[in-house]
Amino acid sequence: MNPYVLTTLLSSLGLGTALTFASSHWLLAWMGLEINTLAIIPLMSRQHHPRAVEATTKYFLVQATAAAMVLFAATTNAWLLGAWTINDLSHPIASTMTFTALALKIGLAPMHFWLPEVLQGLDLLTGLILSTWQKLAPLALMVQIAPNINPMMLTLLGLMSALAGGWGGLNQTQIRKILAYSSIAHMGWMIIVMQYTPHLTLLALAMYILMTSTAFLSLKLVSATKISTLTTMWSKTPILASATALTLLSLGGLPPLTGFMPKWLILQEMAKQDLPLAATVMALAALVSLYFYLRLCYAMALTIYPNVATATTPWRVQTTQSTTALATFTALALGLLPVTPAILAVLI
Amino acid sequence: MTPVHFSFTSAFMLGLMGLAFHRTHLLSALLCLEGMMLSLFIALALWVMQFESTMFSTGPLLLLAFSACEASAGLALLVATARTHGTDRLQNLSLLQC
Repeated sequence: MNPYVLTTLLSSLGLGTALTFASSHWLLAWMGLEINTLAIIPLMSRQHHPRAVEATTKYFLVQATAAAMVLFAATTNAWLLGAWTINDLSHPIASTMTFTALALKIGLAPMHFWLPEVLQGLDLLTGLILSTWQKLAPLALMVQIAPNINPMMLTLLGLMSALAGGWGGLNQTQIRKILAYSSIAHMGWMIIVMQYTPHLTLLALAMYILMTSTAFLSLKLVSATKISTLTTMWSKTPILASATALTLLSLGGLPPLTGFMPKWLILQEMAKQDLPLAATVMALAALVSLYFYLRLCYAMALTIYPNVATATTPWRVQTTQSTTALATFTALALGLLPVTPAILAVLI
Repeated sequence: MTPVHFSFTSAFMLGLMGLAFHRTHLLSALLCLEGMMLSLFIALALWVMQFESTMFSTGPLLLLAFSACEASAGLALLVATARTHGTDRLQNLSLLQC
């Protein structure tokens, strides 16, 4: 893509999110969300491949609907109560509609059906931007309006997302769809604790962005989009194969890796708030997701792809892609659990 | 609920239902999206009158500008879909299903 166009689009992505972060008026927040949508549309359909164009169309329709619903809810609140500020969204209909629209934007169950298909149609780098950067602005708005939302709705959405993310990913062989369902499940974990401790939502989001970036960048290095491609990773980059296996286990939430930290703290907070049943269901739902992460690890690290005994393994040529980001993110995604007290001190 | 409030609410809801239940053509979805944006424009423009707060007079114009950008992006996607899939019928958008 033309470098000037690429710079403009990436800057617009940054601008949209920053605008939504900085706004206190609903119209400005809506404008930030729209700028984000408009900026990522050309990035998604860069390749003019039929799958990419189809994914872009579906993404555009979903995001435009959600943004319009956000603005409509804000307008209803303004007509009924006269207030346009984000924190003043106190009418129950308006706040519920806004939260539903924002949940549609980030792909929470039961509004998650667009996410696997859209992520499937994109190349890995654009999929990374979609899974990480595009979640920031809607989550910022959700954290701000969470006190005004019916608590039952938040808990229900969180539980449904964790379960839908787990069960949906079980029958997939395309890794982008698996990562989409992983995103749905993680968003569920973030939502369920939002009413009690918004700081844990932001911590879970930060850890999720770290781990997902690592996963996407590792897959991009070997251009793996199917499980069958993952099985040949050991012959190309054995160290990255083991590191990616560990990253996927971190996404699944296993100690002593980083992914355990948000799940542990969220379960602790839910226990403190006297919600043992919901905490148990969330933990069991995480178990369902763990199964498909383990399947990927099994394919990568515990099997050798059937090849002829007389054939040789491929030459391990040095990659031309820059691996600085991958190295940093991998180290952080695997080793941050012992630093939990420091992170908690900074965050809370 | 004042009559004005009811009218733009029902206009938005009808557009939303049209967008959610569109079955044949992608273009009908884009039209419903435009209808929704238009109802929001009317809502913002009349809010200024209702609450006599001229500070927010530029609100409808900002909304109109962004909804025009969004509509043009949607139309560009319609053209791209017609080029790659041959038609804008929604049954043809089935390459990505599980």
